[in-house]
Amino acid sequence: MAADPIRLEVFKHLFAAVAEEMGVVLRKASYSPNIKERRDFSCALFDPAGNMIAQAAHIPVHLGAMPMSVQAAIKKFQTRQTANNFGSQEMHPKTDQLGLFPGDVIVLNDPFLGGTHLPDITMVSPVFTPDPLSPIPSSSREEGIGDRVLIGFVASRAHHADVGGMTPGSMPVAREIFQEGLIIPPVKLFEQGKLNQAVFDLILSNVRTPQERAGDLWAQIAANQRGETRLQELAARYGLSEISAYMGELLSYTERMTRRLLASLPSGAFSFTDYLDDDGMGSGPAVITVTVAFSGDEATVDFTGSAPQQTGSVNAVYAITLSAVYYVFRCLIGLDIPNNSGCLVPIRVIAPEGTIVNAHKPAAVAGGNVETSQRIVDVLLGALAQACPERVPAASQGTMNNLTIGGRNERRDAPFAYYETVGGGMGALPEAGGPSAIHSHMTNTLNTPVEALEYAYPLRILRYAVRRGSGGKGLHHGGDGIRRDIQALVPCQATLLTERRRFQPYGLASGQPGQCGENALIREGIETTLPGKGTVDLQAGDILSIRTPGGGGWGKV
Amino acid sequence: MQKPPEPTNPPAGLRIGVDIGGTFTDFVVFDPVSGSLTTFKLLSTPRDPAEAVLQGLKRISDQLSATSHQSSVISNQTSIITDHCSLLTDHYSLTHGSTVATNALLERKGARTALVTTQGFGDVLQIGRQNRPALYDFTAAPPPPLVPEALRLEVTERVASDGSILTPLDPASLDKLIAALDEIKPESVAVCLLFSFANPSHEQAITARLRAGGYLVSVSSEILPEYREYERTSTTVVNAYVSPVLDRYLAKLESALTPLSLIPYPLIGKGDKGIGEKPASGISLRIMQSNGGVIRVDEARRQGVRCILSGPAGGVAGAHFVGKIAPPSVPPFSPAQARRSELQIEGRKWGEDRGVRLITFDMGGTSTDVSLIDGQPQVTTEAIVGGCPIRVPVLDIHTIGAGGGSIASVDAGGALRVGPESAGADPGPACYARPGSAIFPTVTDANVVLGRLPADHFLGGQMALDAARARLAFDRLGAALGMDAESAALGVIEVVNAHMERALRVISVERGHDPQGGKGQTPFTLLSFGGAGGLHASDLARRMGVSQVLIPPLASTLSAFGMLAADIIRDYTHTVMLRGDIPPAEIAAALEPLAEQGMTDIQAEGFPPKKIHIERLLDMRYRGQSYELTIPFGAAFADDFHTAHHRVYGYARPEADTEIVNIRVRAVGRVTPPPLVALPFGSDDPSPALLDSRMVRFPSGQVRVPLYRGESLSPGNHLTGPAIVVRSDTTILINPGDQAVVDAYRNLLITVGG
Repeated sequence: MAADPIRLEVFKHLFAAVAEEMGVVLRKASYSPNIKERRDFSCALFDPAGNMIAQAAHIPVHLGAMPMSVQAAIKKFQTRQTANNFGSQEMHPKTDQLGLFPGDVIVLNDPFLGGTHLPDITMVSPVFTPDPLSPIPSSSREEGIGDRVLIGFVASRAHHADVGGMTPGSMPVAREIFQEGLIIPPVKLFEQGKLNQAVFDLILSNVRTPQERAGDLWAQIAANQRGETRLQELAARYGLSEISAYMGELLSYTERMTRRLLASLPSGAFSFTDYLDDDGMGSGPAVITVTVAFSGDEATVDFTGSAPQQTGSVNAVYAITLSAVYYVFRCLIGLDIPNNSGCLVPIRVIAPEGTIVNAHKPAAVAGGNVETSQRIVDVLLGALAQACPERVPAASQGTMNNLTIGGRNERRDAPFAYYETVGGGMGALPEAGGPSAIHSHMTNTLNTPVEALEYAYPLRILRYAVRRGSGGKGLHHGGDGIRRDIQALVPCQATLLTERRRFQPYGLASGQPGQCGENALIREGIETTLPGKGTVDLQAGDILSIRTPGGGGWGKV
Repeated sequence: MQKPPEPTNPPAGLRIGVDIGGTFTDFVVFDPVSGSLTTFKLLSTPRDPAEAVLQGLKRISDQLSATSHQSSVISNQTSIITDHCSLLTDHYSLTHGSTVATNALLERKGARTALVTTQGFGDVLQIGRQNRPALYDFTAAPPPPLVPEALRLEVTERVASDGSILTPLDPASLDKLIAALDEIKPESVAVCLLFSFANPSHEQAITARLRAGGYLVSVSSEILPEYREYERTSTTVVNAYVSPVLDRYLAKLESALTPLSLIPYPLIGKGDKGIGEKPASGISLRIMQSNGGVIRVDEARRQGVRCILSGPAGGVAGAHFVGKIAPPSVPPFSPAQARRSELQIEGRKWGEDRGVRLITFDMGGTSTDVSLIDGQPQVTTEAIVGGCPIRVPVLDIHTIGAGGGSIASVDAGGALRVGPESAGADPGPACYARPGSAIFPTVTDANVVLGRLPADHFLGGQMALDAARARLAFDRLGAALGMDAESAALGVIEVVNAHMERALRVISVERGHDPQGGKGQTPFTLLSFGGAGGLHASDLARRMGVSQVLIPPLASTLSAFGMLAADIIRDYTHTVMLRGDIPPAEIAAALEPLAEQGMTDIQAEGFPPKKIHIERLLDMRYRGQSYELTIPFGAAFADDFHTAHHRVYGYARPEADTEIVNIRVRAVGRVTPPPLVALPFGSDDPSPALLDSRMVRFPSGQVRVPLYRGESLSPGNHLTGPAIVVRSDTTILINPGDQAVVDAYRNLLITVGG
């Protein structure tokens, strides 16, 4: 059938509304400040093949990665509904685990099986047409699935403040993934509407703050249930064939919009190289290089030449590299279009296996998601600035300045794990300066309010200020970074996973680079510089001072 | 006719509601002696909004003093003001909705404001929550802070999260602050220190010094003693920023009112202290707040942040009032049932809350406001206006940028878009045919092309629409879409309705309310007002599964009317961070000071204690969560919390610890609303109001549709869809399969067909 321009627009809204409503439920029902206050989560809707149809505008780094979670779930539990999308039948140890059924919820965080880094726990729910007789399928699976047909999937992904591992907050500077926390391959947390208590208990036994994790996991379940209900309502209202048809049409729609953008860019190949400071294990800098080639309405993005995967945790899995590519092109399209898998159809991404942009197990990956992803954006924009200089900003801070602090909260007689990322300067644009003290590119998480933080944790904020003068000078200045000074009130452990402490965010068109960030420990009035990545034991009274990078300037001063 | 109510408050005398909206300033005048209700509109005077208000008051005054009482105003309600010259010596009340504070904020034309913060935190206002406004847009920058860096001053002090003092307020630092302010000479000062909700002593000490020095101070522990420093700072700063502007405007209005012949006596002091002390003379000037209640003018002048969403709140208050008196929804509907329910209503006391459930829908030219009333209008503390969080309670009104003027276009991917661009009033929809204007196909034009909006009856025939121009616009759009003009117009209607439906779902299903009512619950009724809503309401109800639509006769002046009907409301809050299992007596004790304050403040408005209602509320969460649900404080508050959590989020954890984050008190002075007159029912037959018939294009095909004049319909008339009702303020489409009746208050009640 030909796409009806009216229905196309109507379904755009309908699908986006489902993802957005899931996000509202997840945010409000969650426990941890990390989800509610910082909004480090994403929700999305998928077709039966696992193509993303709509994502609520939450966190860009989840964009390209979410479909891989759904596809991993499909691959592991494929049924006859999904068999045509994934040819080979795999071995399944238990028949209970075989197949996808109404009421199933699959949980996973394995970066090498659909995840990104371990704190990001994803829940995937297959959504079937409603049972006309009863909301819960009967115990006989063969009958239960009967004439219920798979409409698609809904998924939620949230960054959990602790998933075990060697340091509180599970963002360690590690050598291999086993040190980073609990690895959850795709498993069923719910089987046909029934909670798999063993899986739930196993997860909670491996984390430092089980109460909080339980609450956040329930919030994700609630979000998926809401998404499932809404998608079923749409199917009841418009019919399954209409829903399926417009899932496909919206993928084509976004693909057309992407092709239109690509056709407007000059033919040719554009290369750019930048560096990660180090891997936190003594090696580095690590090079990331890209060549973006445009030909007609297609593009090839080739990361060949990037460093091999590192010992430390700066490795990005392929999903993250895809997310970064998606993000950059999505920004260039500019229009209000559905965030879906169609965008990547005309773009070929080459990321050689075993490199820092496509790491293999058992690489440590905690920082790939948050740090390397930013540098991948930086090199992509550096290349695109040669193709369309009028549309590309100078480098932004290029890091999320990850900070985790954990220990024991004596006042509450309970362990605590606090995770925060800190904004910085944004790169200047050809027509304007870059905003200061703000998150850029692959993240958009909020800060934890000082008054929420000091109430919840044995920490005190002494200063929270714009780091003036840190933005690169230029015709338009880069934005300034942030200074956040945190005092420990009890002995605890802090882990820093930060970047742009050695290599400055670049300026464009002769604009100057932004200043590097700095991490400092102030103990009894004496300040010492801390490395960009590492763990430090804090004594009561110690002050950790995070000073984040400025953005690059644009144009000659 | 209904007996006038006992004169409690405001005392007998004219009651006037004024809403300065966009193009027009609306007036509603109620005379409690005769029971007459008059409405009229005047063109707004944007440069000096008070001018239109004064013109209107002059007009009312002239009417009163005239010996002949034929109403010459453009009146929708044909009541005639009778001779009540005696009123001239009486007290009268003016309730006012104002966009002055809103515009000051949106246009960034507020007072030059300084901000005082804890040492090390002067940038909290600028950093905000460190997030950017749009994810996929390199150029999206947050709006600059209301207070620039040079006007943000820090003092040496620090309070801890438990309210203990870590660093006493340094006197030298305070002296330095005063010196700096004397240099800067700001018009207004905001004070927001960390943890001032837990211990306000430092804020109080600073404020005392500043006020003694003649500064106009907004202080966070008075405005919003709640945790989260950025949102509290933002709310306090907005107050400091807009209050002086509102103050200037109100001062001007007050001084201009004095010489008006309408007023025999000068105002009593600044503001209106002493009103309610029985037959006080003069004017009682009150302002509509964003929370749906009204506030005394002297309070408004200090608390401008509470009046930011004044206009839309009036609409919801009006809708609430109309909903309360309309017959309950008992679909399927018949005129006989309407009569029966009417009888029940007469025995009811005014203002009694009978659990009215409404979804309000106010569709205008450029934007649409929607909200939900479940017994009470829903309140939120998460409003953001002009990029600034405002955490005081406001009615939960969701606004989208789509309306009658939204422009349709085909994008590069081949989808039919409607909006966000709007033709506004200028150039306006193609059918407005403004000379020399570009031709854009808009939602209004789509309605014209389909015959749903009769071009010769727009605004009661006062403005002829150019149907040929609308057709031309849609011929072009249709060509781009590869379809005829009618199909393109039907498409535009479907897309804009999808926008509207999304907005309606946000305030209903997303918040845990089932529009169809849910098991054993009263279904919601869609109440449509605003000029453009009548053509879309029945379609939207069908999409939402709502079976009944109510369109009041005051559709375009409902906001001004709501200001007459609204209660006096004051909200109080305090962050307490208590365990949920502490003895209820302790919670009650914590609430008591707020309740006493509420009682005192509302009594000062002239209400006897028996007319004051105190609501006690708790913001609760599971311990460890960071979002709260507001629960009425009662014996079963803990159970109520679990129930509410389950309703909103789909799960509850009765075994988990709970926490009381904030305590709240809402003090309500019950105003006696204008008693609308229930008219007797006449014949079912609407044919006396029949004007004409027209061909209208529906998705199912072309149908001849009768056209009725709304003003000529009388109570008891029964309409069977398809039908179109044209009124001087709006046009209403009754779809095929719908049934409609006119009730005793001239509301049009549409029962949506399957």
